[in-house]
Amino acid sequence: MTPTLAAVVGTLYAVACAVFLVHLSKGSPRLGNVGRVVLAAAALAHLVYVGAVFSSGAARPMASIYQTLSMVSLAMVLAFLATSLRYRTTVLGAFITPVTLLFFLGAVLGATAEPVPSSVTLTLLPVHIAVNVLGIAAFALAFAAALAYLIQERKLRTKELGGIFQRLPSLDVLDMLGYRFLLVGFPLLTVGLVTGAFWIVGGATGQPHYISPAQGLGVVTWIVFAGVLILRTVAGWRGRKAALGTMFGFACASLVLLAYVINSFGGAS
Amino acid sequence: MSEPDIVVVGLSHHTAPVHVRERLSVATDAMPSEVARLVGALPLDEAVVISTCNRVEIYAATTRPAEALTQARAYLVERGKPDTIDTFLYAHHGERAVAHAFRVAASLDSMVLGEPQILGQVKDAVAVAATAGTLGPLLGQCFRNAFSVAKRVRRETEIAAGTVSISSIAIELASKIFGTLEARKVLLVGAGKMGEAAAKALSKRGAELAVVNRSPERAQSVAQAAGGRARPFEALAEELAHADVVITSTGSPTFIVGVDSIRGVMRIRKGRPLFIIDIAVPRDVDPRVGEIDNVFVYDVDDLRKVADDNLAHRRKEASSAERIVHEEVQTFETWRASLAVTPTIVALRSQFQRVAELELERAMTRLGHLGPDDRKQVEAAVGRVVQKLLHGPLTELKRGDGPGDTAFLVAAVRRLFELDAQPSLPAKAPTSAADADARSASETPPLAAAPRRAKDG
Repeated sequence: MTPTLAAVVGTLYAVACAVFLVHLSKGSPRLGNVGRVVLAAAALAHLVYVGAVFSSGAARPMASIYQTLSMVSLAMVLAFLATSLRYRTTVLGAFITPVTLLFFLGAVLGATAEPVPSSVTLTLLPVHIAVNVLGIAAFALAFAAALAYLIQERKLRTKELGGIFQRLPSLDVLDMLGYRFLLVGFPLLTVGLVTGAFWIVGGATGQPHYISPAQGLGVVTWIVFAGVLILRTVAGWRGRKAALGTMFGFACASLVLLAYVINSFGGAS
Repeated sequence: MSEPDIVVVGLSHHTAPVHVRERLSVATDAMPSEVARLVGALPLDEAVVISTCNRVEIYAATTRPAEALTQARAYLVERGKPDTIDTFLYAHHGERAVAHAFRVAASLDSMVLGEPQILGQVKDAVAVAATAGTLGPLLGQCFRNAFSVAKRVRRETEIAAGTVSISSIAIELASKIFGTLEARKVLLVGAGKMGEAAAKALSKRGAELAVVNRSPERAQSVAQAAGGRARPFEALAEELAHADVVITSTGSPTFIVGVDSIRGVMRIRKGRPLFIIDIAVPRDVDPRVGEIDNVFVYDVDDLRKVADDNLAHRRKEASSAERIVHEEVQTFETWRASLAVTPTIVALRSQFQRVAELELERAMTRLGHLGPDDRKQVEAAVGRVVQKLLHGPLTELKRGDGPGDTAFLVAAVRRLFELDAQPSLPAKAPTSAADADARSASETPPLAAAPRRAKDG
């Protein structure tokens, strides 16, 4: 049953993504609402899918990197839907949904090779993964806002004021959104890092682990986001620089997930 | 009686320079008496006068269009003296006058294609005419339709899409940078007309305005007019640090805002964006300022290019708008033609009946030997003839295949049956040999045919 459900969810995400991209390029307001409805349906199907996977006993919640990827994509969709109600920034769906689709496909395609690690009996691990899932979802939204900001800024500078420029929100709104999502994501990432560090220093098993590339990248991600936030307050790093920093931070966060994926192949062999 | 027609005489920015338009324009408070006077003095039944800075036009409904056009023309020429303005005037009647009214209301005839003010101005002019009592059924319907045409054009085309004036582009850009303009700070440097207009427009949207000028009096008067505060020219650097939007339009031959000063300003602003509109020629702001992060500089050419792009788009949209106007003119003309049908039917019927009665009366004096029943038979037969003869033309008139056809039929019937030359007819008819021929030709065969057919049946 789960492969069919996965196909349904994936298709709905792809349709939502296509609708949002057309909405961005053509600008009919009705399309934005269509996109949100499709996306909400996709999220619902996704929830059912998650329930089905877990109840089948094939995996425990967030027990593997693939389940984590799936949860990240779901969390970012729910966060986006909530945001679009509050800020009327439906067009940002065009930047969110491709990331969602990518993460979800990664989760589903990778899930077949999924080994359930033996060491996940740790009590802290679910917390570690949960906060990181939410954190990365928040960063994904910050990334979308930052990307939109850079496009908008570029259009203003090159003085091409048609089409997409008309439909994207103002620089002020995009900058503010990016900042707020960072403010939400950063504490989550911090908790994630602390719980991770606890595991690394052997607080749970009594044996210190080596720092894996994924964990190293996690630290880099934290430093990048911390830097963006600090420079913003101290040195007036707003607008373009903040947007670039946010995008870099999100790239690092995605690399962490990728490193875990690669790692899981290593663990399986 | 001939049908009332719609005529328009006037001039606009298409045909006349501003000094001529100025001379003809009618002040708002003088308008009611002016339209009333026009209807009194000229052969007009209804009149609406539209007077804006881009056009002065007299719209009228009249039963004597040719005369009305000549006299309205003469009236405007007289008003325009000592200039000879005859060459600037255009005049339309009928369908073309209606189309003109529709195009004007839909802003297809405006200097800035698709600008929204004209519709309000036309509405005002119509309201003035209504109050002055010079708006009748025909012009009233014409302008009601013009308003709905304008609405349709706005809804179905992108004729008003994108802003095309410097002020509105400034507002649009500022909104795209700052979101809301509420409580944003606008600094106006210099006192060029365009800059002042843009600053006013921004402050209307809730922005706070500061005015810096080399002449303190000028700064004061502009600040007062736009609801801002005036600052001495020496305070420029200080004000720059506070401003979100800076509009420069000084006559300075050199840059008054340089890269270094803006770099300093941006440090104080902690990266909050700065939007600079440099309307001055030669430019007031060093173009390299635009390379600084979070600073956006638009000069007058940039703004003009935005306006041109938007205008080009509007021009493309105008052709679909013209199609709508064409459709709506046809609808209006159908309605107008239908107006003429009923009186024509009534006139035609009474014309036939008058002839029949007259001839019956004449015949009866000579047919004294007939009994009352025979007389009734003859009268009934004549009545049937009249009904049968009328049947064809009346059905065709009512059916009318589109406005052109109906108008054509109405005109043809009026002319063929001399409906517009009523008084002479009864007197002329009996003496004329031709009429007698026509009578025998038209009346005899059906008279003879009807009973025969009855027998056949």
